[in-house]
Amino acid sequence: MKRNTLMLLVGMVIIASMVLAACQPTPAPVVEEPAPAEPVVEEPTAVPEEPVVVEEPTAEPTPEPVRTTRKGGWLDEIVVSVVDNSSAITQIQAGAVDIYAAGMSSDALPEIEAAGLDYAQSNGLYYELTFNTYGPFFDQSTGKVNPFVYAKAREAMNWLIDRDYINREVYNGGALPKFWSIITNMPDYTKMAETVRRLEAKYAYNPELAKAQMDEVMLGIEGVTIEDGKYMFNGEQVQLIFLIRNDSDGTRVPIGDYVANQLESIGFAVDRQYKRSSEASPIWVGGNVADGLWHLYTGAWSATVIDRDEGDNFEFFDTPQSAYGFSSTWQAFTSTALGTPYGDLADKLAYNKFTSIEERDAAMAEMLELSLEESIHIWLIDGKNFTPYAQGLAVTYDLAAGVDGSMIWPYTIRWEGEEGGMLKWGQPDLFVDPWNPIAGSNWAFDQAIGRATWGEAYMIDPHTGLLWPQRFDRAEITIQEGLPVGKTLDWVDLSFEDEIVVPEDAIVDWDAENQAFITAAEKFPEGTTARVKSVVYYPADLFDTVKWHDGTPLDLGDFIYGWIIGLDMGKEASAIYDEAYAANAEAVLANFKGFKILSESPLTIEAYSDAYQTDAEWNITTMWPSFSYGEAPWHVLAMGARGDEAGELAFSGDKADAKSTETTTVEWFSVIGGPSLEIVSKWLDTSIEETYIPYANVLTAFITPEEALARYENAKAFFAKYGHYNIGTGPYILDEVYLTEKVATLVQNPDFPDLSDKWSQFGDPKVAEIELDGDGSVVLGGEFAFDVFVTFQGEPYEADEIKQVIGLLYDATGQIVKVLDGVLVEDGYYTITVPADVSAAMEAGASKLEAVVVPFTVAIPSFVSFEFVTVK
Amino acid sequence: MGSDVEITTPKEKKQKSGFVTTLTRVLKYSGVRLLSLFITVVIGIYLTIMIANMGGYVDQMMKSEIQERITMQIQMNPAFKTMDPATRSQLTQERIQSEIDRLGLERPLVIRSMGFLKNALTLNLGRAQNMSSDSGSRNVKAIILERIPYTLLLMGTANLILFFSTLFLALALSRKYGSFWDKFVITLSPTSSVPPWFYGIFLILIFAAVLKVLPFGGVIDAPVPKDFLGRALSVGRHLILPASSLILSSFFLSIFNWRTFFLIYSSEDYVETAKAKGLPSRDIERRYILRPTLPTIITAFALLLIGLWAGAIITETVFQWPGLGRVTFRAINLYDTPVIVGTTIIYAYLLAITVFLLDFVYALVDPRVKIGSGGGPQ
Repeated sequence: MKRNTLMLLVGMVIIASMVLAACQPTPAPVVEEPAPAEPVVEEPTAVPEEPVVVEEPTAEPTPEPVRTTRKGGWLDEIVVSVVDNSSAITQIQAGAVDIYAAGMSSDALPEIEAAGLDYAQSNGLYYELTFNTYGPFFDQSTGKVNPFVYAKAREAMNWLIDRDYINREVYNGGALPKFWSIITNMPDYTKMAETVRRLEAKYAYNPELAKAQMDEVMLGIEGVTIEDGKYMFNGEQVQLIFLIRNDSDGTRVPIGDYVANQLESIGFAVDRQYKRSSEASPIWVGGNVADGLWHLYTGAWSATVIDRDEGDNFEFFDTPQSAYGFSSTWQAFTSTALGTPYGDLADKLAYNKFTSIEERDAAMAEMLELSLEESIHIWLIDGKNFTPYAQGLAVTYDLAAGVDGSMIWPYTIRWEGEEGGMLKWGQPDLFVDPWNPIAGSNWAFDQAIGRATWGEAYMIDPHTGLLWPQRFDRAEITIQEGLPVGKTLDWVDLSFEDEIVVPEDAIVDWDAENQAFITAAEKFPEGTTARVKSVVYYPADLFDTVKWHDGTPLDLGDFIYGWIIGLDMGKEASAIYDEAYAANAEAVLANFKGFKILSESPLTIEAYSDAYQTDAEWNITTMWPSFSYGEAPWHVLAMGARGDEAGELAFSGDKADAKSTETTTVEWFSVIGGPSLEIVSKWLDTSIEETYIPYANVLTAFITPEEALARYENAKAFFAKYGHYNIGTGPYILDEVYLTEKVATLVQNPDFPDLSDKWSQFGDPKVAEIELDGDGSVVLGGEFAFDVFVTFQGEPYEADEIKQVIGLLYDATGQIVKVLDGVLVEDGYYTITVPADVSAAMEAGASKLEAVVVPFTVAIPSFVSFEFVTVK
Repeated sequence: MGSDVEITTPKEKKQKSGFVTTLTRVLKYSGVRLLSLFITVVIGIYLTIMIANMGGYVDQMMKSEIQERITMQIQMNPAFKTMDPATRSQLTQERIQSEIDRLGLERPLVIRSMGFLKNALTLNLGRAQNMSSDSGSRNVKAIILERIPYTLLLMGTANLILFFSTLFLALALSRKYGSFWDKFVITLSPTSSVPPWFYGIFLILIFAAVLKVLPFGGVIDAPVPKDFLGRALSVGRHLILPASSLILSSFFLSIFNWRTFFLIYSSEDYVETAKAKGLPSRDIERRYILRPTLPTIITAFALLLIGLWAGAIITETVFQWPGLGRVTFRAINLYDTPVIVGTTIIYAYLLAITVFLLDFVYALVDPRVKIGSGGGPQ
């Protein structure tokens, strides 16, 4: 009996322990949608009570640039494997992997810190509320009331929601409160520092004001009354249907619940409908807003690049002219349609219809204000993602795209103080879709690894989003007079001309039928002009130093072939026409106005276009043989094209599907595995037999038969050694591929032309650290000053790296009374002076000065506040 | 005197007549059985197709998702940023329509479902709508085939060990009814209510995170060992934890089930009689307990074998094991009907064939069973 009892107790204890263990909080699932983004300084909306020094960047300081003779990647080998998100941190602790190269959401931050790991920070999802703006009554069948047809009701929601609360409670304080569709602390936000701070103060959490304004709106709707604090219509409490997404990273559930609670607190009834994307989409995007199936929806979006011009966001998110214009939700945004002040301004910002940068910035400032008054969406949070890695590892990451989404990681990742060694890289998935540079895998997991093997003519600055030359020396950009374009970096020369005439012999298009170039004279017999002219100068030794991984020297044939195939695939007359790709070709041709090879050695390429960016750096045309999904030499692409022509392969999955029948399979071209490899090998043999030169009509001018044969042999030898055809010019070579096991190995490319420390200048993002000092009590009516100390890692921040230092002066009412310029005293030291006339006009009481420092070297501004008392 | 006429004795006549009757009965039974199983498979597959498509609602969901996805793709692509709004909008619509056409969403589901059904029944698995195999092919056959080796390795190892170990342990326990170990097993049998992935997490914590003697997951070490033996050992190491979690989660309950089952047979009169006669316990087990329980054991074993196909979705996910379970799970999430149907039809056919063959196996191992007598095994 005793034994039985003992057994019973043992059993109960075991079961109870399992149940209790199961009740432990489990890590939230990780965001699947693309991610990455940025080291943050301080929450824009938080108002520190005391002088605050801005947080230091999160990653360990990177060592000083080390001179080296090593070329290519710092590491000898990178081993990539798939790691489950829930055990990633534990695996790094246990040494199973060294980095988990995928952004983990903010709720993982405490665990990462507790594990003593370093981490990179990047943009995560950004969250908002989308409103159904149809109404005020839905169709008679439902008879429901919709207050969000009125801008005042939507505007009131800004005051009803405490963004700081959401950040604290849902994101452990690791995100940023958000008021606009532009990304907080990114270039456009930074440029508008004064405006955004003023508006953030105006729209800060204020539930009383929200209630008062909502009451006013509701009472204006015929038939609505307020009884016991509740909004009533036809004898029933007004009910709002709230679509709350419960998939993705899971954080939209607590956000939705909080917002629903707030709405209930001011008198609404809320029907909370928790749905997955696929369930919600047919209602909020695909449905008819007039049906009244929803009032609000918890949306989320992503931004994985440092977008230096987010002016088009307002058109995209808020107007019926949006690409989402097919949806009745967007069609209902009638107050922002073209012809309204909002719609017209959004249109100008989207297409940069300005004559100067200043005019554009003024329009942006106006739009920020209008955007909150209209509040088509209520923007809530700019999420942050965190990429954990082992201590001792140094890697430069992109402020928006993190580590895995950055272009620079393969060039900088290393063990501190070491050359060589092995890195164990974990990520959520690998080899999701076939790799091919033209229309292959677009999965972030595949692109992250591929980028280590592919080269590019430029490097994207991970801290500002600008471009730096990687393979070329310099560029000249000529812009049509009156367009708002400026430059930041020295490698580009910017000039303006009244008219940019395209020369008649410029090559503008491709004649797929006759396999010939089309010149400007042929396409535009009357002559044509362009808005942008780009001249890119490559170094004289380009074709001697840059080699493909199979040993083939890069040559002009790669440039020209890459340009041709990009258009040929989009031409119906082409043997490799791909309907799915045609739109890309059309998009290119819509703005492209031609190119000329001014010199073959050194290579100099002149190009004309009607498309322009506001940064001169982004207006270069390099013609480098890289494509949307990777880089490849012409002799690999041409074999894929031959397979495509023969109906064996297709560059895009869409074409492979379309061409496959019940009896014939057309493979989606993959350079790393599957049946494609045999097909490429077969065509290499055939091409050797035939001494094949693709597009021979034009390329025989750039490729000799001997060169072609040598390339084919090189590719065959490469395949024999590595078992695939992913041949790039990047700092690492794809050494081993295990598709089902999802393991890959990268090895250093010893023939890479650049020293490993080429990009060592990009260590940690140079986010300014600010200290603000002054008198704690001042008498109004007199002049008083504050000292601003700006440093980075303890050293004074050089004055020529700082774009702007300003002070935002708040009075006791919390409103900005004056924006003051900082005056440079010496490197790292500025003063901000409040003139006597300004102080005389201030209200007495608790006041605040907020210093804003905007560096050139990093997209993120720094903020710090100093509170003081003003007395009469 | 000889005669050309073969004389058949009444006994032989009776035997011949009996053989013909039996053959006729078996053939008739087989025909009816096969037909009924085929109809069951058809109904099962069609239901799978309709459920996978939520009776057509998935079309609406997919259309909305296509609209969202393509709109965002075009919006995020810098190449399209400077396009004029009308052209960009037209382009977006063309792309959306092209994708809808590719997936055949404009055709009514009823018509498409017949195509899915026909392809499934003829084992023409076709092409996936959204998924591709690890080697990059969209052929459903390739998607399934490349995952089978690892699925069978994991599920086969775990289930075979589980089956035989629990069977024999249960048999041993049934002879020691009421003993400490018997009670021990009974006490622990509720632990099987915990799913295998839960054990998996514990095992990972203990053996991978703390003791660091076994890998966290995956199927092979990275970098992959160069030689065959090294690879085999590496796969073996990676197999230990997921297989153990599958075994542990069912171990005690399985013993408990078999043990209870054997106990029932152990208390039959003929077993008691055998015991009273003093037959050795091994003979009693083999002749008087195992033999009459053989049809049930074989049924369980056969179902186990075809169950290997299903994979273990969450356990495979926890251990990053490249099995069929994860393929099926992904296909369900992506509403990739051809892949869902592909995995289901293979399972359905295997199940039907197994059920059909089991009827004959019953007759072979149990003399009490006659094929076709009364329409089914007795």
